[in-house]
Amino acid sequence: MTAMTLTGTTAVGSLDLDLNLTVHPGETIALLGPNGAGKSSLLRLMVGLVRLTSGSLRLGDVTVDEPDAGTFVEPHRRGVAWVPQGTSLFPHLSVADNVGFAPGADGALVAGLIERFGLAELADRRPHQCSGGQAQRVAVARALAADPKVLLLDEPATALDLDSRRSIHTALTDGDRPTTLIVTHDPVEAAVLADRVAIVEEGRIAQVGSPDEIRRRPAGRFAASLSGLNLIEAVATGDVAATPSGAVIVLAEPFHGPVRLAIPPGAIALHRSVPDGSPRNVWRATIADVQPVLDRVRVVLDGPLPVVAEVTPGAVEVLELRPGARMWAAVKATEIACHRA
Amino acid sequence: MRRTLLILAGVAVAVLALPLLGLLQRTPWTDLGGLLTRRATLDALRVSLVVSSIAAVIVITIGTPLAWALGRGDLPGRRLIRALVVLPMVLPPVVGGTALLFALGRRGLVGQWLDRWFGLTLPFTTTGAVLAAVFVALPFYVIAVEGALEASRERLDDLEGVAAGLGAAPFTVLRRVTLPHVLPAMGAGLALAWARALGEFGATITFAGNLPGRTQTLPLATFLALETEPGHALALSLVLLTISLAVLIPMRDRWMPTR
Repeated sequence: MTAMTLTGTTAVGSLDLDLNLTVHPGETIALLGPNGAGKSSLLRLMVGLVRLTSGSLRLGDVTVDEPDAGTFVEPHRRGVAWVPQGTSLFPHLSVADNVGFAPGADGALVAGLIERFGLAELADRRPHQCSGGQAQRVAVARALAADPKVLLLDEPATALDLDSRRSIHTALTDGDRPTTLIVTHDPVEAAVLADRVAIVEEGRIAQVGSPDEIRRRPAGRFAASLSGLNLIEAVATGDVAATPSGAVIVLAEPFHGPVRLAIPPGAIALHRSVPDGSPRNVWRATIADVQPVLDRVRVVLDGPLPVVAEVTPGAVEVLELRPGARMWAAVKATEIACHRA
Repeated sequence: MRRTLLILAGVAVAVLALPLLGLLQRTPWTDLGGLLTRRATLDALRVSLVVSSIAAVIVITIGTPLAWALGRGDLPGRRLIRALVVLPMVLPPVVGGTALLFALGRRGLVGQWLDRWFGLTLPFTTTGAVLAAVFVALPFYVIAVEGALEASRERLDDLEGVAAGLGAAPFTVLRRVTLPHVLPAMGAGLALAWARALGEFGATITFAGNLPGRTQTLPLATFLALETEPGHALALSLVLLTISLAVLIPMRDRWMPTR
């Protein structure tokens, strides 16, 4: 397991980066921030495709980039596997050859990854014959097959449909992983996949902390996007997860053991009477508070599942949402992001 | 309006097609076997194939790195070099041949040293014919490959970065990622360059002369035969036309948009 320490500056295009980030061995960090904040550039810096202009980057005991000392380790000697945004498979190679691309890749490891990422049936296909989700699984498997010290994932599940997204998340949370950095602009993804979240804004690391810490004390505009998120610790047995306070939540797919759940507040619907329809989590809740935030209204719910829902001001009037009111709250299982804790 | 455009388009097709029809109409089909198996024809065909094939090998050897440097690298003086690359395409070949003669001839800029130090004489040799062919054919190859590198530059940058991150050294990246990526463009460019080398006339006759069996290629033999025996010239033209079409047809998808 390799630690990573970055303190330094560089410039990419018109963006000046001034970065300060420490990643612990084996840790997974999500880089969360708006487009153009420098998240992808930070990854390129670690791969060695962008050089520091001052400062240093260390991987474990090795300094890989330190301009003042004249140190620069070439990308292929760093052990930093990179999955860039979008399609990055080698178009002329089959799925199996893509996964086994890394020079000196261990055959057993490659075979194991093909199995683990569910790629056995696609092994002979060319990348253009794969769906977006399949291609992304191949890309992640290919990176892991190099047995890297550090794994870099740039928006691994963006632009994928819900099923593919979930299959990528499952693949990422199953089994061992090296020290990992995941770039995302999706707070839910950051919250469920990462041990810690680093908020990147305008070329700087604005805040670093566990998803819960950032949720409680957001420093900055983008960090606030995490603050709305409902993060719940629970223990799963198959399709259901139980919280310490006794609430039972229906999941979209089976899990076992401790899990971390993230529910976007906009996914929680409020009703005056019992709603019907597709498989849902439905429970009775008392409104603790109603807080207008910009053009939305945050409704704080009490009860076995203390969560925050977000509704339109119109809904507040129609449903007569007032503190103390008893409501039915509902959320679809597919709206709940789940990840092994 | 539409009718006028169609008529003009028809004129364009006629301009392109009529000479070929004329060629086919006057070809002495009955004597064709005899004309084609003649010593002079076979010699010219052999010289043409040898010269254009060696030229193609040289073009791919030096043209690929040049295309790479132009299409990927931050080459200093890139615009100037690019203009230089295109020049042989617009320059009258006879000017190219003259330039070669004054540069590499026995008294030329470089040629005098080649002669003095290595006893090497280029003009009026098969090597000279190869050089003339390389001069005119190189741009076709370089432009095709550079275009492919340029068009997918960002994507290729990513793919090469991924490969490096997976532990592939620069040469491995070149061999396993970059070259496979531009292979179709290399094939198309090579076919064009080879066909251009095969048809080369002006630079060859100026720099390499017209020596049967050594520098007399098919186009030179055709031109010569036109003076003495038009039927033979037609037969030789037919050979060149056939070879050009044979190269063009399998490659047409590469540079012609297809539906």
